[in-house]
Amino acid sequence: MICNSNGDKMGATGKEKPKLYESGRRVDGRGLADLRGIKIESRVLNDADGSAYIEWGKNKILAGVYGPSECIPRHDQSLYRSVIKCRYNMAPFSGMEEHGRSGPSRRSKELSKVIKEAFESVIISENFPKTQIEIFVEVLQSDGGTRCAAVTAAAVALADAGIPMKDLISAVAVCKIDGHMAVDPGKEEDNFGESDMPIAFSPRTGEILLFQMDGLLSREELSEGISLARQASEKIRKIQVEAIAKVYQEPKEERFLVIK
Amino acid sequence: MAENRIVMPGELLSEKPERISYAFVDKGKTYSTVVGLFSEGKLVPLEGPYEPLPDDLIVGIISEVKFSGYSVEINAPYVSFLSSREIRERYEMGDAVFARVDRVDEVKNIDIADAKKLPVGRLVKVSSVKIPRIIGKKNSMIDMLKSATACDIYAGRNGYVWIAGKGNQTLAEKAIRMIETQAHTHGLTDRVAVYLKSQQ
Amino acid sequence: MESINEIKRDVLSAVLAAGKRIDSRGMYDYRKIVVQPGILQNAEGSAMASIGKSQVMVGVKFDIAKPFLDRPKEGVLSTSADLLPLASHLFETGPPSEDAIELARVVDRGIRSSNTIDLESFYLEEEKVLALYVDIYVLDHDGNLIDCSSLAAMSALLSSRMPKIENGSIVRGEYSGKLPLKEHVVTCTFGKIGERMFLDPSLDEEKGMDCRLTLATTSTHLCAAQKGGWGTYSERDITELLDISTEKGKELRAML
Repeated sequence: MICNSNGDKMGATGKEKPKLYESGRRVDGRGLADLRGIKIESRVLNDADGSAYIEWGKNKILAGVYGPSECIPRHDQSLYRSVIKCRYNMAPFSGMEEHGRSGPSRRSKELSKVIKEAFESVIISENFPKTQIEIFVEVLQSDGGTRCAAVTAAAVALADAGIPMKDLISAVAVCKIDGHMAVDPGKEEDNFGESDMPIAFSPRTGEILLFQMDGLLSREELSEGISLARQASEKIRKIQVEAIAKVYQEPKEERFLVIK
Repeated sequence: MAENRIVMPGELLSEKPERISYAFVDKGKTYSTVVGLFSEGKLVPLEGPYEPLPDDLIVGIISEVKFSGYSVEINAPYVSFLSSREIRERYEMGDAVFARVDRVDEVKNIDIADAKKLPVGRLVKVSSVKIPRIIGKKNSMIDMLKSATACDIYAGRNGYVWIAGKGNQTLAEKAIRMIETQAHTHGLTDRVAVYLKSQQ
Repeated sequence: MESINEIKRDVLSAVLAAGKRIDSRGMYDYRKIVVQPGILQNAEGSAMASIGKSQVMVGVKFDIAKPFLDRPKEGVLSTSADLLPLASHLFETGPPSEDAIELARVVDRGIRSSNTIDLESFYLEEEKVLALYVDIYVLDHDGNLIDCSSLAAMSALLSSRMPKIENGSIVRGEYSGKLPLKEHVVTCTFGKIGERMFLDPSLDEEKGMDCRLTLATTSTHLCAAQKGGWGTYSERDITELLDISTEKGKELRAML
């Protein structure tokens, strides 16, 4: 595992690789199929057309959506559909290590692309030709697995904006730790595990919309991983639905992002 | 399947292919595309952008004066055009008008007509799907707002509400926001009536 | 769009001339203010502040850095501001706009002039000092981002902990006490249209106003000021606003 979730550099602390899985428990006490704690709040910003805030483990991520709006610059426009744009960005204070650089890193640009492509297959963009739909994701605090949390929050933000979609999607990663497939790697598992595989699903059809992987996996491990991720995504969807429904069960005129 | 429930994008509405607004059919089954209320076979979105349709009565803001007419901003991501031939009045940039959507073509060019200039006032932008609730059955809600605040209120199907007149414009705006937030709930008309009374 | 501003200006003028504001506030009233300190754990300090519907988050991070050539015995304070595209349909992605740069520099000036932070105490050894980064992250824009950002920044500094330093490097996740602060700086921003001045302009008011004046104060002094916009002030305007800032400053400091 060369890349850690906070950037492109390896956390070269010269640490010895710890035991990641022992007596049925992971480093933080979870079982192999257990997710970290996830909380989602929808409709937390006033200007954005849709918004959502997610806490996933210690990740704190904010998603905002604008659109459909006039597509600028004009030459990006399509006569047949709305152009989907996505910006994934990490705040300079989001990591435990040094103060982050300003401007998007190469990693941020890559994640912006794969996240956008996941949504391109579910947003019904033909309804709004010549327009754009913008998805902005800001990582305020990172703790491993930010891209999966980003997809999960962005889906809620899009639903909040009333953008028509074929499904409410989410993403989760699986890892291999000490030879075992496990869901939702934490930071240490990210750094020292033998494989990392983030996956986004459309729960309605089971289709896979985002798929990346690094490390070493056998064919059986791959299947086991996808199956673990699929089961986890059903639990995640419940949390998304609760967050969306809450906006209507407890209608509020003022929108606040409350963090503690 | 329980009726009158909140549905999510991708949620199953029917095991058969049906023609339902804001729903789509996939492999013979019908699913919702939005967060909405599903009741008696009808799906009403709880949020969403304004999609202009012919005969919509809207509030627009003149955004550009052209040679043969005006560009009008109507809370849609498309330019709409008001031809000078259609109207007797002359407008300036920033004027508010109450008008009707005349035509929407395949590439979403929009023509509006039958425009009437609105008096000086303020614009309140709400989610266009909430406008029917702000108007109310047979104008019941909007009439109540007008009389309680002594304002002229024009609610455009496009989500633009224009408040004018010497009455309590701020109260009108607050009441409209209250309706927008609670549009999907029961007993709203009574609660709004109570609120308006308490502020007088 | 300039002409739209003209229109809003007329409506605003009329309302203000009657001694009122479009949201029924008093001329020198703030909207609702909420401060949430210490909300992030990876940053050495953090806070969120909201004024009305404007919401700003500030993160504080420490690094080891080289001092500036002309101040070799002093630590480095660096303030930046991001007007995030998700905060407003008016903000675009790209390099910092002049508004973002002005915002960062005004907040920075208040902290720096007041000597809130003792930068000399950040000196470690030859060519090595502590650098303190204050990053203003504007999340939601409904006007008066300057006061909202200053409040969030001051609150973030108050929540900040000094990092533990071992063998000339920072040991992340371990701390050695709180960041010592000598002052609590707050800013008050006033809009002006015609002859009328008003505190804490909302976005609607900002769109129609002629100019704004921001005054940063400690409990005893004025420490920074910035006028923005094309309008003008008389000397009496400025001293009047300073008196109001002094009063209002107490209210703001009480929220920290």
